[in-house]
Amino acid sequence: MNLALLRADLTAISGEQYVREHPVDRHIYGQTPLLAVAPGSLEELAQTVARLAAEPVAIVPWGGGTQQTWGRPPARPFVVVETSRLNRILDYTPDDLTISVEAGMTLGALSAALAANGQMLPFDCPLPAQATIGGLLATAMDGPRRLGYGSARDLLIGIRVVEATGRISKAGGMVVKNVSGFDMMKLYLGSFGTLAIIASANFKLIPQPRAAASILCRAATPAPLWKLINAIAASQLVPVAVEYLEGFDVAGAPCAVAVRSEGLPAAVERHVRDVTAFAQQAGVSAEPLRDAAHEQLWNAINDAPQTATLAADEVVVRVTCLPADLSNAIAAARAAAQRANLPLQVTARALNGVAYLRVRGSAEALREWHAALLKAAPQTMLLAAPPALIAELPAFGTHIANLDLMRRIKQEFDPADLLNPGRFVVGQVA
Amino acid sequence: MNRAELIAELERILGPRGVVATPDALLTYDADGCVMDTHEPHVVALPTSAEQVAAIVRLAARAGMPIVPRGAGTGLSGGATPMQGGIVISTARMDKILQVDTANGRVLCQPGVINWELSQYLKPFGYQFAPDPSSQKACTVGGNIANNSGGPHCLKYGITASHVLAVQVVLPDGSIVWTGDGSAHTPGYDLTGVITGSEGTIGFVTAAWLRLTRLPEAVRVVLALFPDIAGASNTVSQVIASGLLPAALEIMDRLAIKAVNDMYKLGLPEAAGAALLIEVDGVEDGLDELLHDVTAICWRNGAIDVRPARTLAEQNQVWAARKNAFGAMGRLAPTYYLVDTVVPRTKLPQTMDEVGRISREFRLPIANVFHAGDGNLHPIILFDRRDRSQNQRALEAATGVMKVSIDFGGVISGEHGIGVEKQDYMTLLFTTDDLAAMAGLHQSFDPHDLFNPGKVFPKGRGCGELAALRRSGVAWSALKSS
Ligand SMILES: Cc1cc2nc3c(=O)[nH]c(=O)nc-3n(C[C@H](O)[C@H](O)[C@H](O)COP(=O)(O)OP(=O)(O)OC[C@H]3O[C@@H](n4cnc5c(N)ncnc54)[C@H](O)[C@@H]3O)c2cc1C
Repeated sequence: MNLALLRADLTAISGEQYVREHPVDRHIYGQTPLLAVAPGSLEELAQTVARLAAEPVAIVPWGGGTQQTWGRPPARPFVVVETSRLNRILDYTPDDLTISVEAGMTLGALSAALAANGQMLPFDCPLPAQATIGGLLATAMDGPRRLGYGSARDLLIGIRVVEATGRISKAGGMVVKNVSGFDMMKLYLGSFGTLAIIASANFKLIPQPRAAASILCRAATPAPLWKLINAIAASQLVPVAVEYLEGFDVAGAPCAVAVRSEGLPAAVERHVRDVTAFAQQAGVSAEPLRDAAHEQLWNAINDAPQTATLAADEVVVRVTCLPADLSNAIAAARAAAQRANLPLQVTARALNGVAYLRVRGSAEALREWHAALLKAAPQTMLLAAPPALIAELPAFGTHIANLDLMRRIKQEFDPADLLNPGRFVVGQVA
Repeated sequence: MNRAELIAELERILGPRGVVATPDALLTYDADGCVMDTHEPHVVALPTSAEQVAAIVRLAARAGMPIVPRGAGTGLSGGATPMQGGIVISTARMDKILQVDTANGRVLCQPGVINWELSQYLKPFGYQFAPDPSSQKACTVGGNIANNSGGPHCLKYGITASHVLAVQVVLPDGSIVWTGDGSAHTPGYDLTGVITGSEGTIGFVTAAWLRLTRLPEAVRVVLALFPDIAGASNTVSQVIASGLLPAALEIMDRLAIKAVNDMYKLGLPEAAGAALLIEVDGVEDGLDELLHDVTAICWRNGAIDVRPARTLAEQNQVWAARKNAFGAMGRLAPTYYLVDTVVPRTKLPQTMDEVGRISREFRLPIANVFHAGDGNLHPIILFDRRDRSQNQRALEAATGVMKVSIDFGGVISGEHGIGVEKQDYMTLLFTTDDLAAMAGLHQSFDPHDLFNPGKVFPKGRGCGELAALRRSGVAWSALKSS
């Protein structure tokens, strides 16, 4: 490869100051990219990808860099293609409750624009000031309020991508209901940038609620809190989030459940009353939180699974299972952590069967902990690990079905395996 | 393999009761609810299990015959019509609800389960299957999944795709796979998501884990009457813009009111130009406030009456009128053509004006019964199919509705799918590159075009051709010079 020539061509597309050689601030598990390039428009992005495909050289799409540790590190030398300059709102008619934004816009910036019109996109990701829409879609990150409003899967109504050859294609539209053609949104969502680079996305928006409050229920042990969670699930209440917390300092107790209610004022008060009563029946304390205290609690919960800043001996995982199996999966993680005396933090979307765990310890202890967890929760995904461990721990769990079919899809969309090679379940296909 | 051999093989797999081959019987499978195009199948198979479906698929591959999946045949875009003949696989005998798992919020069904029967079955458990197409008393969950169907309550609860947790499918290569177990993040690509809405072209659904939705604690229904459709459409736009979240917002216009009045004795004043059906639900607390705010918007937009449905019986009556409105159209004309498009919700009033203009231009009455809250229009063009001029004008009027919807930033189908009905309109919405990406997905599942061939993609642009185009990529040099 002639790096100087490649660099010159990329510079011709995006401009001198947007092409950097060996930028260490874009490393992934210690691997520094050959180049980092930040195209400034959809066309520049397409041309950049076409040029890299012609080389050919591997491409790592890069949004805010907050989730680059997820999955496996790049399998080959790579060029980082940044979306940071694709950060505009493309189309927004507030009264339609839809928006189209470029992939490099941060969730924080988007939320601010929406708040000005009394609207929101309730994704609740960690570090919203850095995390971009494209990155959140690529990783299918889900926040606590997926319980009430659904996840990106339910709110994404249109998409535009640059494919591995530089071709631009779109799907969906700017309407809330649409079966015109295949649902390509679902294909790209959660595909870890292995099929195409997301350039822009359209969403269905949610009006901001007139009232909101939370109830923080604390306990010394998990059991009574799961009783509370089950009571909420069996009721006709409609909380927008029910989060189980363990080893989470902000909660002010070893274990806690945070219930979030949003809607009309009377409905929110009803939730506060009923959840408090359920908590009493389960024998746990219940404290209503409003306004700033309510906001602070949820910001802390949202940030808890962040993978941008890690201790040198830290592992972060996401457990996925059927909701009724979640308490057992967490119990297995707890028991394994206690055996080796490892500090464990849990934030779990209790009624969705999703938990984000952080644990710290020696490589040996982490290895054992992870193996024990996988037995109880085979669909556990690795979000971050010390560099020494990342190559050996199974990144996507031990239960991956339909690999042949997924490889056929990858082969069809990226036969030269240029996009995020090695990162995803499909592994290396070329 | 000749026809007799094919039938013999099918009978070996399914038993004699599982095969339909007599000419009279085959005629009833020559179309779905869209009667514009018809074509008979070679034979119809009625399996009872995934294994039988897989065996039929392998047989079809050997015989070089297409497979056309069929639920209840209520589809309105020709999706279940065997345009190239072949083997229609009906799910009529795969109609079991297998397991209700409330602890995990899911229910396991075979594809032939009737949508309405599923929700009735779930009621005693305190749950429902939220997608509720107006055809719900006849259509199957398999058809709902394949078409990613909608319904009045999708406004609040979302479309079918949000309620399908995992599917078991028979793939075109004859393998049987599950796409997940209903947990939130199955590792890998979202196969459940891409199969849902693929109109039977990439996988035959043989079972599904569907999401259970808790029945709401309280429900309120009101019917607001307006002098014209503009008042009702403006109300809907403003309710959406104001951030209120009703469970359903459905409009019926003057013609539709007349038709359902006769049938359901609603006693709606036929002078009313439009009726807006509003439902709100949730916990009891706050519901009256919500309803109050919505009705205030009705009054501001010139409502002439706002009638609450006070009892459950009254609510059911109003809903029955709405959901059976299409059936009542038979009272107005010998044939109707229901056009399904979507526009952004602020564009609803202007779009309805345009629909009125199209009705005048093509000299055909158009009734409107639609999911207004989602911006999902259903202009119903009334005509007599035996009259060739009317037939032609009906088609042109439908094209007009699609073009107007696209001009306003909308799309050509909100819930009925593309099938054969709209395949040639896809190019109004999508570029060749857009279609080529969809073809790429299709090819990775069905490289030999075995399942429901000749659908969704524009005629004359085969999936293989489109996929080859996208594989060829773009040359860096071509971009440089452009
Ligand atoms: C009066 C009336 C009202 C309607 N109202 C609505 C409405 O409110 N909302 C709405 O969305 N639709 C509505 N429809 C359209 C239609 O009812 C829906 O599309 C419905 O989901 C089709 O179900 P079905 O069982 O009849 O499927 P079919 O018509 O038999 O098939 C539909 C499509 O699904 C495929 N298919 C069927 N079963 C399977 C399977 N097991 N695996 C793979 N593919 C399969 C078929 O090949 C075909 O492409 C209405 C139709 C009528 C006639």
